[in-house]
Amino acid sequence: MKMKLKSAAFAAALMISTALTGGAANAETVDFWYHFDNPDNPMSDLVAKFESANPGITINAENVPWNSYYDQLYTSIVAGNGPDAALVKLNALPRLIEMEALEPIDARLDAWDGKDDILPNLFDLTAAADGTHYLLPVQYVVLYLYYRTDMFEQAGLTPPTTCEEFRTAAKALTRDTDGDGQPDVYGFGFRGGKGGHDHWATFTLSRDGVGFGPGEMTSDAAIAGTQYVLDLFQKDQAFPPSAPNDGFKEIIGGFKAGTTAMTIHHIGSSKGMVEALGDKVSAVPVPGCGGGHWTSFGDESSAVFSSAKDKDAAWKWISFLSSAGNNTEFNLATGQLPVTLTDSKNWKNHEARFVDATVASLPFAQLLPNVSETADFTNMVWPVNMQRALIGEITASQMNAEIDTLYNK
Amino acid sequence: MPQTRALTTPIGRRILPYAMLSPAVIVTLVIVFLPMLQAMWMSLHDYVLFRPKSFDFVGLDNFTKALADPVFWISLRHTVLWIALTVPAQMLLGLITALLLNQQFPWRGLARALVIIPWALPSVVIALMWVWIYDSNFGVLNDFLLRLNLISHSIPWLADPDTALYAIVLTLTWQGFPFFAVMILAGMQAIPSSYYEAAAIDGASSMRQFWHITLPGISGVLLTATLLRVIWVANSIDVIFVMTGGGPGYTTYTLPLYAFIKARTGLDYGYGSALAVCFTILLLGFVILYLRRAGKNIG
Repeated sequence: MKMKLKSAAFAAALMISTALTGGAANAETVDFWYHFDNPDNPMSDLVAKFESANPGITINAENVPWNSYYDQLYTSIVAGNGPDAALVKLNALPRLIEMEALEPIDARLDAWDGKDDILPNLFDLTAAADGTHYLLPVQYVVLYLYYRTDMFEQAGLTPPTTCEEFRTAAKALTRDTDGDGQPDVYGFGFRGGKGGHDHWATFTLSRDGVGFGPGEMTSDAAIAGTQYVLDLFQKDQAFPPSAPNDGFKEIIGGFKAGTTAMTIHHIGSSKGMVEALGDKVSAVPVPGCGGGHWTSFGDESSAVFSSAKDKDAAWKWISFLSSAGNNTEFNLATGQLPVTLTDSKNWKNHEARFVDATVASLPFAQLLPNVSETADFTNMVWPVNMQRALIGEITASQMNAEIDTLYNK
Repeated sequence: MPQTRALTTPIGRRILPYAMLSPAVIVTLVIVFLPMLQAMWMSLHDYVLFRPKSFDFVGLDNFTKALADPVFWISLRHTVLWIALTVPAQMLLGLITALLLNQQFPWRGLARALVIIPWALPSVVIALMWVWIYDSNFGVLNDFLLRLNLISHSIPWLADPDTALYAIVLTLTWQGFPFFAVMILAGMQAIPSSYYEAAAIDGASSMRQFWHITLPGISGVLLTATLLRVIWVANSIDVIFVMTGGGPGYTTYTLPLYAFIKARTGLDYGYGSALAVCFTILLLGFVILYLRRAGKNIG
């Protein structure tokens, strides 16, 4: 009987210890969310490299489709089954802070060897409004102007540096090449759908005194900026007729197919452009308008979530991705630029002319306001009102008033 | 006497039907009714997902806000147009197809199988396919119409506010007509051929036979299929979402799409739920009226 009891006690102890060990093993699993469009996804190689260097930590990396990335992230956090770490853009930061979903990383950053190897200013750009750091930069891009060298040469034009030159070029490059009386090549591929605010911002936010503060968006300069975009479409017909609904796929596809002579995007699409067009594509910084210059700084960072089961393990993983060497592998897949000084020096993944256009654009590259309203601006208010303005439902002044109401109500 | 029988039936046998039904009932309650109740409860609150701690009761504020919201009325108008055009178009096309498929011709079995394809394809695939058909630069529709000299220049079907909604209606008509075709075909096959023989002997023309035999014979099927399609089409947002996302502007917003965008993209679950509840009440009202009227007609 005694033996039986002892055996039972031993079995119970074994089960408890197994359960505890199992629990500990689970705590060392890091659920990581990211979004890659590239089918040659190298994440499994990076995970294998990390796991061999950090025995006891398992990375469960999940590629979440970009279109619904933030919808899924917010809902999963509220439902209590969010990731331990994930890729996050700066414009999502205010909302995630409001949700108390992120873990501050200042202390970890100070103790991290790789901190000094991160490009200067990136930590300033990605800090929260109160200066706290939640984000560790992992890649970046700057938007610039792609143009067709052959079309510019044929028309005797040089790449535009001002809004006036841009309009002249866009009009001259809008042509009927097959003689049916209708244009089939357009000066500029404008993104009227979600994500196109960067195009509009280049022509509007660049102007003196234009921003999102009270009255700034309803000023004459800001309305002139929006009107400039509308005139290009409505009067000059320099955008394809589908522009109000066009998204990333359409503007890049149209440019590669020769339907448009210019468009605005970043170095991430340069590889595909060169594959399709070879030397017929080049890039320059976006034109300056109304006395200033504005282009979008495209940030991407990783963050540890406050609900992470093992925050140390999650930090180890995200700092691994932003370390020299690993960051190159990561950016080879995304087609964007590395954030470490070491990797930037040795970077050879893009043609020099696109890297030059990026570097030349850095001095005036900016981010949208680091406030909660910005997510609504990019996802809902800008696309809907830009489309309504393009199709003539509202005026430039009414569109800007809607944006002003969002930020300053 | 029946009472005595009920009393004498063993309790196990009396409970058995309920026990057998309970899994289906419980699953339905959990995955249909519980979220419905949650949505109704949420519609009475100010609930924005990125402020999960604030869940303030606001009574009917979200509903009064909806009634004062111009986008609500735009979306409602589009929803009515969306249903009023799509369902009759699907029914008409389905009826013609069923009449054709009911004739004797070689490879009829294959034709009946092929006609199901649009219905069997996923909505997202259909939406993407039609986006390319409508493309203003490379789309086959513009090319076809230009070659026939029916249009003088390419039309941006989905970016033009005058055509966007109707272009999506055509897409959904194409997707949904096989459902009507199959249902009507099944109804036609249940009509005894002796009716047609008798009518032919009496000298009734094909049109008269259709009017006095076929149509009354399939009326029950038509009424049921129409009701089902009204509900499905009304709730269908996937095709619109993929093709235009509701744009340009609010041109292709329907009420369920507006509720979805408010909740899922805007993260305003309180207002989004109120829009969804409003739409459910409107649709329920229509269904009750339809059933009363249709029941009377069939009777």
